[in-house]
Amino acid sequence: MSAQLIAAALITGAIYALMAVSLNLIYGTMRLLNVAHGDLAMVGAYVSYWAFTLWGLPPTISFLAAIAFTGVLGVVLYKGLIERVLGGSRSAERVEANSLLVFFGISIVLENVAALCFTGTPRGYNFGNRILHFLEISVTESRLIALVAALVTVGAILVFFRLAIWGLAVRALIQDRNASALVGINIDRVFVMSSALGFALAGLAGTLVSMFESTTPFMGARYTIAAFVIIIMGGLGNLTGSVVGGFILGTLETIGIAFTGPNYRSILIYGVFIAILLWRPQGLFGGKVAAR
Amino acid sequence: MKSNAHRTLKPIITVFGAAALIAAALVLLAGEYWVIVGTNIAMWIALTESWIVLSGLTGYISLGHATFIGVGAYVFVLLWNKVPLWLGLAAAGGSAAFVAVIIGTPCLRVRGPYFVILTLGVAEFVKFIVINIEAGLANFGRLVLGGPGVYMIFYLMTGLAALAYLLAHFARRSRFGLGLRAIREDENAAETSGVPVTLLKVVAFVLSAIIPGMVGALFVLRSGYFEPLQMFSPLLSLTMITMAVMGGSDDAPGPLFGVTFLIVLSEILWANAPEIYMIVLGVLLVVFVLGVPNGIYGRLLVARRRVAR
Repeated sequence: MSAQLIAAALITGAIYALMAVSLNLIYGTMRLLNVAHGDLAMVGAYVSYWAFTLWGLPPTISFLAAIAFTGVLGVVLYKGLIERVLGGSRSAERVEANSLLVFFGISIVLENVAALCFTGTPRGYNFGNRILHFLEISVTESRLIALVAALVTVGAILVFFRLAIWGLAVRALIQDRNASALVGINIDRVFVMSSALGFALAGLAGTLVSMFESTTPFMGARYTIAAFVIIIMGGLGNLTGSVVGGFILGTLETIGIAFTGPNYRSILIYGVFIAILLWRPQGLFGGKVAAR
Repeated sequence: MKSNAHRTLKPIITVFGAAALIAAALVLLAGEYWVIVGTNIAMWIALTESWIVLSGLTGYISLGHATFIGVGAYVFVLLWNKVPLWLGLAAAGGSAAFVAVIIGTPCLRVRGPYFVILTLGVAEFVKFIVINIEAGLANFGRLVLGGPGVYMIFYLMTGLAALAYLLAHFARRSRFGLGLRAIREDENAAETSGVPVTLLKVVAFVLSAIIPGMVGALFVLRSGYFEPLQMFSPLLSLTMITMAVMGGSDDAPGPLFGVTFLIVLSEILWANAPEIYMIVLGVLLVVFVLGVPNGIYGRLLVARRRVAR
């Protein structure tokens, strides 16, 4: 196994970890199965593509626009739709089932509106194509930027949830919603903020991916599936588990493919996922939160 | 007091009678276009009725029913021109049931969102295995030539729809269905009161797999072509769920409404504005889940109760 492969695995893993942590934030606090998560990354990717193409803004600046756009979209969707999903149903199972369908609807709409507006043509732009060499590793500038940005963001989130008061509120909510309300946590505000943050982080992941992969209206599905595989592997509601799961999946995908061939990518990913779930139905690190 | 035989026979006669009447009316009065639309409606009724036997009654939402369509289609194609049609159909249903036992036994231990995503994962896993087998055999799609005509497929599909309707009808009213609904309300309580939950869940899974397997076979006959990406498409599973949600309720009439509504709508949209068809589908799904949570049939039931009062 070469250092080059490990570097590639790290980059994929970091992006996956970012997607998974943000998805898990939404699931953990609100019990929403956001199957449109990858499509939000798609939206972020288009924001950065158009910013670069129309105004020449590099993704190192336009990521702010992507975050703002998807974050606001998160708040709008929360106020417009999600509140009703949460309010209309009493049991967590019902919320999960309904949110799955609502987000599936949102996903279809986002994908097809994008296809209608931007056509299905794969889009890409030239940014950070310079190749850097470290020891025996060669990596493009853009991938290095993506790796660092994803690692820093994921690290910041983990620290934030350990230390900041709002982060603690979210973790309390993940553990027990009713008890959190009892001790005076403003649940509604935490929900709005985790929607905004969760969606914004997906938008950021989209910007990062758009630097070195082509942007299409239907690019999101792959990331949605990957993120779900990861958060279930790492335990629903368990943020640290998501980071570890992200790197496991990134490694599997990159190194597994290098040894077997691209045809086996999906078999490998789904195979490991199924095996883990059947072996430990509550996820690898799932503790009290996920087990029923 | 109605006799048991009456309670069993009457729905069977009514359903098959109604199906035969509608089929005859379509064939005699409308053109081939409507027969094709009818085939489509019958296909989705067969699929969605099967789906609610598991997911409507137990609350275990399966996102993996495309597996059964795909497996049935694949087995049917492998046997094509080697065995008679009816044997191919039976093999398609049987193989779907077999796969359901293998998948269901481990998967149904897992609950809630884990089960939903796990079924999707298993469906994709099976899909890519079939794709790799076919690629290994250097097959990129298989042709199915010399199958029966449009009308024969329509009759067969209508038959499957009627069977699936009766399956959902009787499953819900039986002791077996009572057990399934107990699982939906509270699985731990059901288990504690002596409901054999694992057995019931697996049997429901198998029952809900057989007809989709046979539908897969007819699907291949209709398109004349087997392509794993199409036959195992997760979109098939998602459409089943959408139709079940729009129809509402776990009882047999529900899917009729959801399927008819969606198919008629899609026919109209495909003809007039194909580019916004998917967008409208997405919006409708959101509107139904939030605004009409009990579906069309659920609404009708409520309205009827109000009138009766």
